[in-house]
Amino acid sequence: MSLATALFLAFFGVAAIWFGIVVFRTHSMVRSAIALLFSQTAIGAMFLVMQAEFLGVLQIMMMATEMSVMAIFMVMFMMDPGGMGKMDMTHQKRLSLWAGGIGLVAALVVIWTAGWQGPAPDVPGADEQARLLGREILGRSMFIFESAALMILTAMIAATMVAIAPQEEDTQ
Amino acid sequence: MIPELMIALSVGAALFGVGLYGALSQTNLVMIIMGVELILAAALLNLVAFWRYLHPDVTAAKMFVLIVMAVMAVEMAVGFGIAIARFRSRGSVEMEEARELKG
Repeated sequence: MSLATALFLAFFGVAAIWFGIVVFRTHSMVRSAIALLFSQTAIGAMFLVMQAEFLGVLQIMMMATEMSVMAIFMVMFMMDPGGMGKMDMTHQKRLSLWAGGIGLVAALVVIWTAGWQGPAPDVPGADEQARLLGREILGRSMFIFESAALMILTAMIAATMVAIAPQEEDTQ
Repeated sequence: MIPELMIALSVGAALFGVGLYGALSQTNLVMIIMGVELILAAALLNLVAFWRYLHPDVTAAKMFVLIVMAVMAVEMAVGFGIAIARFRSRGSVEMEEARELKG
C-alpha cells in the first residue's frame, strides 16, 4: 500500500463528497452547478491518482463543459437562480434522507464485508494503457463503441426534436 | 484487504447516497438531473477502482467507463430537451406541477 496514494484518494474523495453535499445545500443554483463541477473534478483527480490518466483528463474536460452548460440552463430556467429569495425547492425530505442513508449504509456494508484480497497488481504506464484501450475500442469492443456513438446521435436528434418550438402546421 | 480500493468504493457509496437524496428531494428538473449525475459519477468511480485494484489487465473495464460517460452526456442532453419543451409549454420546470404526467 502506498500511503501517499491512500492520502490523496481520501483527500479528493472528501472533497468530492463535500462539494456533492453543497450542490443540494446552497440556495444559489449557479453555486450548485459550480459545486457539482468541483465534485466531478475531484473524482477526475481520483482517477489520476488511480493511474487512469486518460479517463481522469477526459472526466475533468467533459464535466467542465457539461457543468458550464448546466449553469447556463440554471440561469435560464430557474425562478431564483441567484438564491437571493431563499426559496425552498425540496419535497419529501425525510423520505429522501432515509433512501439516501439506506443506500449509503447498504453499499458500505457490502464494500467492507466483501473481503477483496490484496495486494493490488501493477498497472502499465499511461502510453501503454492508451495503446491497449485503442486496440480494445477498434477490436473486441468496436460494436459497443459504435453503439455508443449511435446512442449519442439518437439523443442529439431526439433532444433537438423535443426542444424545437411546435410549428403552426403541427398544432393544426 | 486493499485500503485504496476501500477508500475509493466508500467515496463512491457516499456519492451514491448524496445523489439519491438529491434526485428524490428536489422539485426542479435541472436539480434532479444533478442528483442523477452524482449517482452516475459514483458508478464511474467504482468502475475505475475495480479496474485499478482488482483487474488492471482487463481493458474492457475502461470501455465500460467510456459508455457510462456517454450515458451521462445523453441523459443531460435529453433531460435539457425535455426541460426546454416543458418550460415553453408551462413556463416552469418544477416537477411538482407536472402532475398530468401521472396519466
